Amino acid sequence: MMQASARRPAVALASIGGALALWWLFTATGVIPAMRFASPREFADAFEQISSQGYADAKLWQHALQSCELVAMGFAVAVAVGVPLGLAMGWSPRAEAFFNPPFLLLRPIPPLAWIPLAIVWLGLGDAAKVMVIFVAAFVPSVINSYTGVRSIEPHLVEAAETLGIRRGMFLREVLVPAALPHIFSGLRLSLQAAWTTLVAGELVGALRGLGQVLSAAAQDIYPAMILVGMVAVGVCGGAMTLALAAAERRAMPWRAA
Amino acid sequence: MSEIVFANVSRAFRRDGRDFPALESIDLTVGEREFVAIVGPSGCGKTTCLRMVAGLEFPTSGEVTVGGAAVRGPGPERAVVFQQFALFPWKSVAENIEFGLKAKGVEAAARRATIAGFVELMGLQGYESAFPHQLSGGMQQRVAIARAYALDPAVLLMDEPFGALDAQTRSVMQEELVKLARRNPRTVLFITHAVEEAVYLADRVVVMTRRPGRIREIIDVGRVRREEGWDRLERIEEVMDQPSFVHLRTHIWKSLREQQQTNGQSNQGGEQ
Amino acid sequence: MAVSRTKASRAQLFALSAAGFASLFALWSAVAASGWVAPQFLPPPWAVAERFAFLLSHPFAGYTIEQHLVSSIGRFLMGFGLAAAIGVPLGLAMGWFRWLDEVVSPLFEAVRFVAPIAWVPFAALWFGTGIGGPTLVIFMGAFPPALVNSYRGARFVEPRLIEAAQTLGAGSWRVIAQVLLPASVPSIVAGLRISAGLGWQSLVGAELIVASSGIGYLMVKGQSNMSSAIVMSGMIAIGIVGFAIDIALRRVEAAIHARRGL
Repeated sequence: MMQASARRPAVALASIGGALALWWLFTATGVIPAMRFASPREFADAFEQISSQGYADAKLWQHALQSCELVAMGFAVAVAVGVPLGLAMGWSPRAEAFFNPPFLLLRPIPPLAWIPLAIVWLGLGDAAKVMVIFVAAFVPSVINSYTGVRSIEPHLVEAAETLGIRRGMFLREVLVPAALPHIFSGLRLSLQAAWTTLVAGELVGALRGLGQVLSAAAQDIYPAMILVGMVAVGVCGGAMTLALAAAERRAMPWRAA
Repeated sequence: MSEIVFANVSRAFRRDGRDFPALESIDLTVGEREFVAIVGPSGCGKTTCLRMVAGLEFPTSGEVTVGGAAVRGPGPERAVVFQQFALFPWKSVAENIEFGLKAKGVEAAARRATIAGFVELMGLQGYESAFPHQLSGGMQQRVAIARAYALDPAVLLMDEPFGALDAQTRSVMQEELVKLARRNPRTVLFITHAVEEAVYLADRVVVMTRRPGRIREIIDVGRVRREEGWDRLERIEEVMDQPSFVHLRTHIWKSLREQQQTNGQSNQGGEQ
Repeated sequence: MAVSRTKASRAQLFALSAAGFASLFALWSAVAASGWVAPQFLPPPWAVAERFAFLLSHPFAGYTIEQHLVSSIGRFLMGFGLAAAIGVPLGLAMGWFRWLDEVVSPLFEAVRFVAPIAWVPFAALWFGTGIGGPTLVIFMGAFPPALVNSYRGARFVEPRLIEAAQTLGAGSWRVIAQVLLPASVPSIVAGLRISAGLGWQSLVGAELIVASSGIGYLMVKGQSNMSSAIVMSGMIAIGIVGFAIDIALRRVEAAIHARRGL
C-alpha cells in the first residue's frame, strides 16, 4: 500500500502507453480498416498538415483561436448577466417570483436545440454561434449563483447583522464571498456548455473553427483529420477548464486545499 | 444603560394552525455589568431568550428592553458569540475581528490598533492572517469573542459558546473568559446546559423548566463566590473542588432533575 | 433588520410570478405583431401553438411530430441504456478494485475533455444516418456521469459499514453484494439522472447533423425552410420530453432517499 502513490503514475503511463500500442497494432495489422479510423502515423501526418499548411482554409491555431474567441465572448456576456441575476433572484423573493416563470419555461430546452432557431434568425455566421453560446452558458450561471445565495449559512447572516452591518457592505463582504464557491461551480458548467455548444454550432455550419475542421474532415472522409480535430477540441476545452480552476483557486484563497 | 429586562415575555410558535408555547411569562432583570447564566434542559427556550435580546427573534407577548429601549433588531451594542463560531470563512482572523468596526465606519488606522490589542489579549499572535479553517475550535472561538468585544458592546450575548469544544479546551476557555470578564466587565447573558460552567462563570444562575420554559429559580452564585473567595484561586479545578461550589452545583442539578417528576407546573422562583 | 431577506406576501409573489409569465408572452407577442420582423422569423405564440398542433397530424420531413419524437426517444433509450449498462458496473468495479481504477482512470481522463458532440463526424463515418450514429453520440454524453457517479458511490462507502460487515463474518462477495452495492445506490441514481440529461442533450446535437428522422432532424428541416414556427415546435417537444425524463428520475431519487431517511 505504501507504494500506491508512487505506483499510480507508473500504472497510468503504462495504461496509456498500452492503449497507444494497441492503437498502432490494430491499425497496422488491419484489424481496424483504414477507412474507419487513422493510424498513429496518419494522425501525425494530418496534424503536420493542418499545423503548417492548413486545412479547411486555415491553420490549426487559427481555427482554435476562432473557436476560443467565440466561446470567450459568449461566456463572458452570459456570466456578466447571469451571475448578478442569479444572486438577485436568490436574495430577493420578489425578483425570484418575477424571473422564475420564464426561466422555468426556457430551462428544459437544451442549448443545442437553439441552433436551428439562431440560424434562422442570424444566419450561419458568428452572431448565431455567440447567441447559442450565450444561452448555453447563461442558465448554469444563474442557477448556481441562486443556489449560492440560498445556501449561505444563516448563522453567518445573523453574525453580520449583530455586528451592525449595512446593506452595501453586506453584499460586498458577505453575500458574494459566501456564494463564490457555488458561483464558480456555475462558471465551470457554463464553460463546459459553452464549449460544447460552440463545437456543435460549428459542425452545423461555419467558415472557420475547430467544429468546422471536424465537419470538413467528415465530408472529405479523412479520419486522421477528424482525430486531429477531436484532440484539438479536447486540448482547448481542457486548457480553458484548467485556467478557470486556477482562477477559482486565486479567487478563494481561504479554501482548504 | 445596559440593563436587560424581560417583562412578562412569552413566545409561541405557530405550526399547522396550532400554537406551540416555547416560553411562558419570563420576568427577568439582568443588571448593569451583571453576568447572568441561564441553564435548562434542551428545548427549554434558553437560546430563544438570548435571541430575543439580540433582536433575532421577537416575543409574542411582553417586551424585552435593553437600557430602557425596546429591542427592535440586531445591533452592535448587543454583540453575539455563537456556538458554531460563525466566523466568516473568507476573511482572515484580523479581518473577522475588524468586521464590526468596519461596519461602524472606523478608519483603517484605528481599526488596526484595536485589532492588535485584541489579538494580544486573546493570545492570537501570529495568526492574524490565518483563515478560520486553519484554526482549532478553541482558537476560532477566541476570534469570535474578540470580534464581539472589539465593538465595545454594552451587552455581550453568548449562546453556548463552548459547546462545540472538547473538554480540555473548554476548561481553558472558561478560565480565560472569567479573567476577561473581570478585567472588562459588561452586561453578559450566557446560555449553557453545563451546570458547572454556569456556576463557575456567573453572578446569578437562572434555572429554567422544560418546555414551555419558565423560570424555576434564580440562584445568587456571586454571593457565595465572594464569601468563599473563589477568585483567589488560580485554576478552575481548584474552584470546582470547593465544597461550596459542589453544593451549588448539586443543588442546581437536583433542580433540573426534579422536573422529570413534575408535570411542568413550577412557580417562578425567587432568589436563593 | 437592514439586511434580512425582505419579506413579501404570498399574494405579492403570486402576482409577480404571473407578471413574469405574462411579460414573456407579452414581449414575444408584441415583437411578433409589430411587424418589425417578418412572420417567418418570429411568429406570435399562438401561431407556434397552431403549428405544433398541425404537426401532430400532418407529417413534416417524413413523419408527424410524435413519430419524430418516438424515433428520438428510441435512440435516446438505446444510447442511455448502453451507457448505464456499461458505465454503472464498470464504475462500481473501479471503485471496489483499486487496480482497475489505476488502469482505466488515465484513459478516461484523457478522453474526458473531448465534448461528446465532437464524436459526430466519426458517428457519421461509421454509421451513416442510421440509428448507430446518434446512439454513439448519446453514449458518449451519457457515459461519463454514469461511470463517475457509480465510481464515487462505490469508492466512498463509509468504511465503518464495511468493517461492520466484516466483523460480522461476511466474506468478500457478500460484502459487495449486501453492503457495497446497496450503499452505492443513491450515487448511482444521481449519476443516472445527470446521465439522462446529458444524453438527451447530446441526442439533440447529433440529430441536427447526422440523422434522417427525429426531433433534431425536424428542426433542421424547419430551419432550412426558414420556418421558426416549426423549429420552435420542435424545441417545445424537446423541452417537454427532457423535463418529463428529469422529473421521473427525480421521483425515483426522492423515493430512494425517503426509504433510507436521507
